[in-house]
Amino acid sequence: MPDDREGRGDDGGRPAGRPEGPDHRRWKFSELLADPAVKARWETVRKYFFLRESTYDMSNRCNLRCDGCYYYEGEKQLARENGDAEAWRSLMRAEKARGITYVVLAGAEPSLVPGLLEVCFAEMPLGCIATNGVRRIDPAVGYKIHISVWGNDATSLRVRKASELLGRQIENYRDDPRAVFVYTFTSENIDEAAGVVDVLTAAECRVTFNMFSSPVGYTGPLRHDGVSLIRTRGVMQEMMARHPRRVLFSPYSVVAHTHALGLHDLYGCSYPRMNPSTDIGLGRSFRQFRTDLTWDRDAACCVPDTDCGDCRHYAAGSAVVTARLYRHVTDPWTFRSWLDYVDTYLAVWVMGYEKGENLCAEMVSPPRV
Amino acid sequence: MPESKETRERILQIASIIIEELKLEEITPESFDPDLDLVDELGVDSMDLATVALVLQDEYGVFIDEDDYPKLKTVRLIAEYLQSRLQGRKGKDA
Repeated sequence: MPDDREGRGDDGGRPAGRPEGPDHRRWKFSELLADPAVKARWETVRKYFFLRESTYDMSNRCNLRCDGCYYYEGEKQLARENGDAEAWRSLMRAEKARGITYVVLAGAEPSLVPGLLEVCFAEMPLGCIATNGVRRIDPAVGYKIHISVWGNDATSLRVRKASELLGRQIENYRDDPRAVFVYTFTSENIDEAAGVVDVLTAAECRVTFNMFSSPVGYTGPLRHDGVSLIRTRGVMQEMMARHPRRVLFSPYSVVAHTHALGLHDLYGCSYPRMNPSTDIGLGRSFRQFRTDLTWDRDAACCVPDTDCGDCRHYAAGSAVVTARLYRHVTDPWTFRSWLDYVDTYLAVWVMGYEKGENLCAEMVSPPRV
Repeated sequence: MPESKETRERILQIASIIIEELKLEEITPESFDPDLDLVDELGVDSMDLATVALVLQDEYGVFIDEDDYPKLKTVRLIAEYLQSRLQGRKGKDA
């Protein structure tokens, strides 16, 4: 009989100091902030509550072709590529005018349009570029740069048709304060992760983790199942313990992204694609622009064409878990876990933000809705 | 209908909390327009509103359901919302 805890948020243990048995106490927010370390972290992270993101596909071209790539799913890949720098400048100004303060430049491969990256950075100083790392992006573009890693070189050759990819990525982004290497766990590359992370951290690169989240209709071998989620969880914990300074992650990040339930089922996705409300938050402000500078509310989320039931994407979690502050003010351990998650997200996504030590070492279950 | 003294005091108290939590400058509780749209006119986002709601929960000892956050668009609406929650609690206590 399978263990009921497989792939769930809790580890069956109890955080240190937490009373035995069900905790029915209703904690006041001020009580949760009474601990000076918690209060200090809260004051640090809340300074970034002004961040309001939208995402932009920069090019419909890529210099790699990876199995399971989200970009080449659905209709967005068919959008005309708009390479007009002035059109992008106008778009960025319009975005700023409607309150957007953070841009995520992605799909298919942003490094192929360096002029547009410069235009975006000139207009919108906070943001991130999602790249495969094959071409170095001009250091004058001061966005965070997320370099996608999908396994060791043998796997990259098989899945991404790219040879000696890790070495090229490190060569391009070693010692670059913008760079965070994003290791995407698929169900097939879990055992390779430790070796790859060891190589990256030995080169003093910073690493965070992503989970392969199947595009709609994908039935291939990269998709996670209950067993692969448990195995991934173990490797993430091991890597955090082995490289605490270089691996940007938290115990609650592990919980949220390796749970048997996806992010939508756990937290309720707040992106427009799954959230009809336009009152406030992402449902009101988020847009996902295609390469022709159009957007479609029905498709708008951080990684369009992902199967929402399988979504454990790191970008989605950064918004969805963070937005659920009020569900995490139930007790000190849950609130500290949430703070660790937000602290991790900011260190991964915001230039100059340095991650603090995790406040909660235990694996705390996501709050029940 | 003119607002009662109690309502006026509650409006000032809520305005004071919003000013403090959102670190608003050059505005006082007395000069805070209770009908100002916090989202459309002041630019308050979901995280700010959640923070204010948590502090209000502490202050008034009532639970504010997350589904109700979008309703809390002005200081006056917040005051009315709290009033109804407090009355509901009194009714239960009676």
